[in-house]
Amino acid sequence: MKYSYIKPRKKSAITADIKLTLTFFSISILMLFLTYAFLLYKSYSFHKDVISINTKKTMLSSSIEEMKSRILFIEKEDVIASRVKTQNAVLKDSITNLFDLVPERITLSTAQILKNSLVLKGITPNKDVYNFMLQAPLRSIFNRTYSSFYPAGNGWLYFVSTNYTDEEFSMKQEEDDNEN
Amino acid sequence: MKLLESLYIKVFVNIVLSGNETIVYIENFTKGSVTESFENTFSTVEVNEEMVEYINSYIKESPYFYISLLDISSTQGAIPTCLKSTMNLYHDISDSEYKCQNKQWTHYTSKNDLYEIERRYEAFGLDFVFSPFSVLASFFSDKVDNSLALYILLEDAHMSLAVFDNSQLKYADFIDISNVVESEELVEVEALEEELDEEEGIDLDDLDAIDDLDDIESLDDFGDIEDLDSLDDIDEFSSSEDVEEEFHHDEDVQGEASTSSSDGLSEDYKRFTLVQKSINNFYTDSKYSGDFIENVYVADSVGISHDFKRYFEEEMFMSVYVRKIALVIEIAQLAHSEVL
Repeated sequence: MKYSYIKPRKKSAITADIKLTLTFFSISILMLFLTYAFLLYKSYSFHKDVISINTKKTMLSSSIEEMKSRILFIEKEDVIASRVKTQNAVLKDSITNLFDLVPERITLSTAQILKNSLVLKGITPNKDVYNFMLQAPLRSIFNRTYSSFYPAGNGWLYFVSTNYTDEEFSMKQEEDDNEN
Repeated sequence: MKLLESLYIKVFVNIVLSGNETIVYIENFTKGSVTESFENTFSTVEVNEEMVEYINSYIKESPYFYISLLDISSTQGAIPTCLKSTMNLYHDISDSEYKCQNKQWTHYTSKNDLYEIERRYEAFGLDFVFSPFSVLASFFSDKVDNSLALYILLEDAHMSLAVFDNSQLKYADFIDISNVVESEELVEVEALEEELDEEEGIDLDDLDAIDDLDDIESLDDFGDIEDLDSLDDIDEFSSSEDVEEEFHHDEDVQGEASTSSSDGLSEDYKRFTLVQKSINNFYTDSKYSGDFIENVYVADSVGISHDFKRYFEEEMFMSVYVRKIALVIEIAQLAHSEVL
């Protein structure tokens, strides 16, 4: 100071009003930045979720495809199982019928049920019992029946009966079954 | 910050105490010039609510406001040195705040008075407190630098005297008129004037008719005032560069002087005797050079009568030049030079 005994007070361009205004604007700008940052984060998060969901979607699509193929396979299995069940039922009935066909005097030792044939092995007191009591019903069932005998040692005879069903005949029979 | 500062106006509030009044002068300063100015006078020397409100209404316009005050504390003065070692020869400055001017002279004021001033104006605070000697040196800067003369700053209740010789202060005195005990002479003059007033009023031109005045040493020549008016015609005065400053030379002013009241007369004479006493001190005190003073330059802020000048011319044979001063504007000038 050249003339004055005292020094002037510090002067600042930032008055209380300006301080208030600056504070207000600072808070506003800060809030805007925070909102912007929040939106940026949300956008990033959303984008990440979209990628994740797309990946999941792809995986689920492939999974659905796999499931579909599995369902298809299971359906096929079901069809097959149903068919097998039917066939088994038929077979069971056939076996029951077969055993019903065998008279008490004849004893079976082996019965081989094949696709279009039946092979029976056993022992019979004699040929007549076999011919009348077993071969006759077999001939009514199968298209072709072949029998062979050989002695068992105690007067009885071992027999081997081979019975065939022709393909066309069996198919026709199957069709008839399906229609029923 | 400078850029921000340039965007704001600067508000200079200048306060001067004048008698029982406080003058507040406000300047709005923009781009190197005063754009607006306002002045208000409050009939108190204390800070009141009205004054605070008035000043606050202007300073709230800008953070860059400067409040200046002219120091009127009675303990102030000036000494003709800036050397601390020799300052105490003139005044004990241990309890004073002081400022050296041009490495040649120092003005001072009491620290206690300064604290008191700052406390009094704490409602809005102060930025500058100026000495009347700074005002005097600044106001007569064109004269101070090149001659030996007595410079007087006349205020309502104070007088600041300074003798400058080529910008070097020789002597200074601050006189608080209200606190000075009236001399016997002055009391006598006043008593006489009152007596004459009671009779029929007094014409200054008839002062020679008053016999009692002959007993008063200092007023010996009062009766010849009319004759002494012829001093105005002396070449030295009429050819002076300061013709315009020779206040009261005009006819109308002379008329004013001749009809001046006895109160004005006694007041001016009181001022004159106080100055005379102070000049005697300058002449007699061995501390000062005591150079003979021929010229007196008066900065008049109160409006003195022609008699004041005449007393000097008749009794001390000095040439007196009076220049009107608006103290608030001078204070504003000093504040400008501090800030800009």
